Formats: sequence, structure tokens, C-alpha cells
Amino acid sequence: MSLNVTLKILRSRPHQAQRYETFNVNVPDAANVLDAIEQAWAQHDRDLMFRHACHHASCGTCAVRINGAEKLPCIAPVREYIGLEIKIEPLKNFPIVGDLVVDVASFFQKQEASDFTITRPTENELDGRPIAHTDGLDSESAAIVPFNRFENCIECGICLSACPTMAADHKFFGPAALAAVKRQLDKTTDANERAKLLQLADDEQGVWRCHSAWECTEACPQNVFPAESIMALRQEITAQRFKNFFRR
Amino acid sequence: MSSKPHVLIIGAGSTGSATAHDLALRGLRVTVIERGEIASGTTGRNHCLLHSGGRYCVNDQEGAIECIQENLILRRIMPHALELNDGLFVALDDEDYAFQEKFLAGCQECHIPAREIPVEQALRIEPFLNPNIKGAVQVPDGVFEPWRFCTSFLATAKKNGATIRNFTEVSDLVFQGNSVAGVRVFDHRTGKTETLGADLVVNATGAWAGMLAAMANVDVPVAPTAGVMVTLGKRFNNMVINRMHRPHDGDIVVPIRNTSIIGTTSWRVTSPDAIEIPQDQIDTMMCAGELLMPILRQARQRGVMAVARPLIASANIDARDFSRTFEAFNHRKQGGAAGIITISGGKTTTARGMAEKVSDVVCAELGINAECKTKTTPLVSYRDFYN
Repeated sequence: MSLNVTLKILRSRPHQAQRYETFNVNVPDAANVLDAIEQAWAQHDRDLMFRHACHHASCGTCAVRINGAEKLPCIAPVREYIGLEIKIEPLKNFPIVGDLVVDVASFFQKQEASDFTITRPTENELDGRPIAHTDGLDSESAAIVPFNRFENCIECGICLSACPTMAADHKFFGPAALAAVKRQLDKTTDANERAKLLQLADDEQGVWRCHSAWECTEACPQNVFPAESIMALRQEITAQRFKNFFRR
Repeated sequence: MSSKPHVLIIGAGSTGSATAHDLALRGLRVTVIERGEIASGTTGRNHCLLHSGGRYCVNDQEGAIECIQENLILRRIMPHALELNDGLFVALDDEDYAFQEKFLAGCQECHIPAREIPVEQALRIEPFLNPNIKGAVQVPDGVFEPWRFCTSFLATAKKNGATIRNFTEVSDLVFQGNSVAGVRVFDHRTGKTETLGADLVVNATGAWAGMLAAMANVDVPVAPTAGVMVTLGKRFNNMVINRMHRPHDGDIVVPIRNTSIIGTTSWRVTSPDAIEIPQDQIDTMMCAGELLMPILRQARQRGVMAVARPLIASANIDARDFSRTFEAFNHRKQGGAAGIITISGGKTTTARGMAEKVSDVVCAELGINAECKTKTTPLVSYRDFYN
């Protein structure tokens, strides 16, 4: 079984005016929107620019807006859009490189600011069931820390695109980078490191710039809850200020 | 203009990215050309299995040894791109259990750390595993994040002077006599075509290697061999779950982040672009996956993907049994065009080893004496790719 879908893709290059182009493609029932975009590229226009790599919501490269909402097209089933034209546009609040490709350079520089490590140790459950731990294997060279996970954040940029504060001021540190600061803070007990991280967040363009619209948490495909992280950072910073005040 | 020889690498999947790093570290001038996003071909649509070599330790020991060696190296040089939870090989029936002895012997022969663990313990670690398993062996499998795997190599290559141009597509090769002297490229951003000169071109296009080789009128025995993977709406296993038998369709469930990926099948395709996925392959995989983990029957499918592996073909051998090893082809030495070298075969886990091999061939061809240093050089953050 296959589905006929109509994609309306926003095309552009830095030297050209923007325009919508319509592509009709045939995809299997099980296809996601990313598969349809790829078919448009394969069958109709090899000059169509889009980002993709893992096709399973791990790399974060393919994020776009589908009918106005930020989504990962790799996990957005085409059958949810039956009978609809699927409008695909690049993320907002990023410079456009071409078609659906945006420039993520400054985004990744902000992510790096907190030295955000993308793995976290020690998981205790699987889909609600507790899991027992095991030793690493008996070889020194293969000694490993058992049971770690990649962080939830896949650095897709969706939260920045959805953020009204970001739209108003591109200097804002942004929900993803602030959520990263919070995760790093949770991973360390070192006082100096914690102070450095809080300082990063405690800035005019940091947690205080956020208008609390909560759009980031709403749009995040990976349960990162950036807005909650920003609120938690505000509390932590305020508590720290109180402590410092009474210490004087 | 620099006097260093200029090597142009075509393809920014795992092989091209690792090769860029290797050659940049050896002091060469390196440019990488990639038609799309980094890792948007075979490397991206990956199981993401960091092989321990267990899957090949009985039937393809050469491939298995490469896997365990590279697995241990990658743990040192790119810990930030790996999820390390080991793997289990489980015996579902008496026939599998009979295979366990051969499997353990194979692991030992290939120096793959392996230990038998009691079934009850395996079930405590993996509550969704088939409770009727007869045996379980733990090996150092892992998981890598494919895009960050490549961007880590490329970021480090950039730091060492390499130029990376994605969304830039090769339209033709430029010849001087019988020798490839450069490439014509089309830059999708600017819409402009240009010529880039090179002292040597490395064809790291994987499953697409035959198409580029054809531009140079040379043959490479690369057999694009597709495989289907089904990704699920939830993660159901902690470790990689393999069935303890000869590699077969649907005999592995790889967990990554919040999904589990069932893999995989194996069939020859003519073109690696936009592969059609036969429904019966998906059904086969779901059935085989359910044998390992019965809960998969109720799991929501989140996506289905297929991609072509760039296996080295051998006559009269079924695609499933092609070796997973790799090969560097110096076409000049085979009577073909000079100035172009093809690297193919292999798998993401062995990308660094492949890069070492092809970089040795590149340096020999250019008369350069430089040692490979990638085994011990930690990679910089993948985010530095954007610096």
C-alpha cells in the first residue's frame, strides 16, 4: 500500500527570492514526512536542500516546520496528513542557507558554552520496569561504565524556532543552551563548576531574558522541558544571591 | 599556495570523515566534498551498533577482529559520541544453545571479551527479554550516534586545517592524460560550478562508489546491499540484544536514546538512492524481533528505513555472507586511471581502520612518509565542526 502526498516546500537561496514549490510524491503507508521530502529530492529535484542523517530522532538534523509547527519529519507519519497539503518550511530564528537548511553554527557554539556532555550515567528503569545492574566485562581494556544514555536533547533547534523571545532578540542564549546549563549543573557537585554554570545563565541575555511563553517545552520532541530548566535556574540563582547577601 | 599535496575526499560518511581526520593529522592538505548533509547516506541510516565483533566471530573472523580492535579504540577517542551498555547474545532454542560453545570459542579466538551470564540475571537486566531463553553471553557491544560520529572526525580534521564542503556535489572528474587531476563540483548553496584541483582523489562514497568510479572508467566490486531497520516508539532494552546464531534477518535489537531498532535484512539493489522497502521484509523483521523480545508485538512502529551497505562483492556468494571487511583500491595499479583511490566495504565501527588503510595507500602513492596517529588522538567536540 502506498500514499500519494502533496508537499509544498519553501524554496530559497541567499541570492533568490523565496517561493513555494509543490511536489507530488508516492510513499509507502509507513513513511514519515522525511521520506516524502527525500522522494521529492530523488524523483523531482536533486537541487532541493534539506538536512537528514539518522532517520530515528537521534541526530537532530532534520527539524523543520510542518504546517506551521516545529517537528522532526523523521518521526512525523505521513498518514497523519492524509487529505492535507503538507507545507514544509525551514526553522525560524536561524539564518537560511538554502531551502530547508538553516545555519546552526551559532546554536552549537551556545551549546558548547556549558561543555554540555551528551551522555548521562546510570539508568535504573526501562519503560517503568526496574533493571538490575551488571559488572563491566572482565577485561581492563573493555572496562566500561554500565548503563548510560544519551541525553534527551538532540540539539535539533526546534525550541529556538518556537521561542518568541528568540524571535525578538537573536542574542538571547536560548532554551536549548539554558537547558544544557541545567543538565550540567545536575551532573556536578564541584562548587567552582557550579558557580561558573550559574554565572553563564545569570545574564541579561540568559534566564532573565525569557518571557516564560513555554513554547519551547510545548514544541520539544524529546521531553527536555527547557522552560522548566529556565525556571529552576532562576530559582537556583535567586537562592544563591540570598545566601551571598547574608554572608556579607 | 601551499606546497603540501592536496587530497580531495569525496563523501562525508563515516569513511570519508575518518579519512579526512587521518590525512589532516599526517599533515596533508585535505578537502572533503559531500553532496548533502554530513552522514546523510549509509552512515546515517544505521543500526548504530558499535560492534564488539560477536556477530562475526564464528563465520568472519577477519571482520570480527577488526571490530573489537576498533571498538576499543573508539571508546578512547570519541567517548562523547557513544552509549556504552554492552550487548547480550541470547540462545532462543536448543540449536542456538548448541551454537553457544562455538560462539564463546570464536570470541576467544578473536580476543573479544565475553562471559556467560545466568539466564535469571539476564532477565533481571533485560525485563522484556523472552523469558524462555536457554543461555546468554555478555560482550562489549555499544551504540554510536552516527551524525556526531562523523562530525567528531570532521571537527578534528578542520582543526588540523581541512576544508569541509557539504551540499557540494561532484558533477564530473577532470583528467590530465590518464590521470584524475581534480573534480568539477556544483555548490548547491550558490548554484555555481567550479573546478577543484587535486593531487589525489579519494572515493569514499560507499555504496555510491561504483557511480563515481564509472566517471573514472574504473570498476570497483562494490555491491550495494540493502537492509531494512524498524524503529519503535519506545526503548525496550538496555543492552544490544543479539540472537546467538549465524547472522540472520531480524536477529538484533539495538537500543539508542528512547528507541529500539530491529535489524536487519539483506538484499542486493541496483541504485542506493531512495530504496523501496518491501512490506514482507518489515513483517519478517517484526516476527524475528518478537522471538527475542515478545513485547515488540505490541510496540508502535515509529519508522522504517532502508539503506545500502557498500559491501565488497565476491562471485557466487549470497549477499548475507559477503565479508564485512574493507578494501582500498589503487586503480592505477590495476591498469586503470591514476590519481584516484577507492575505499569501500567495512562498517561504521571500522571507519577509523579503513581510514588508516586508505591513508597509507594515499601516502605511498604521493611518496609521503607519515605515520598514522589516529589510534591515540582524542577527537575534539563535534560542535567544533561549526567553529
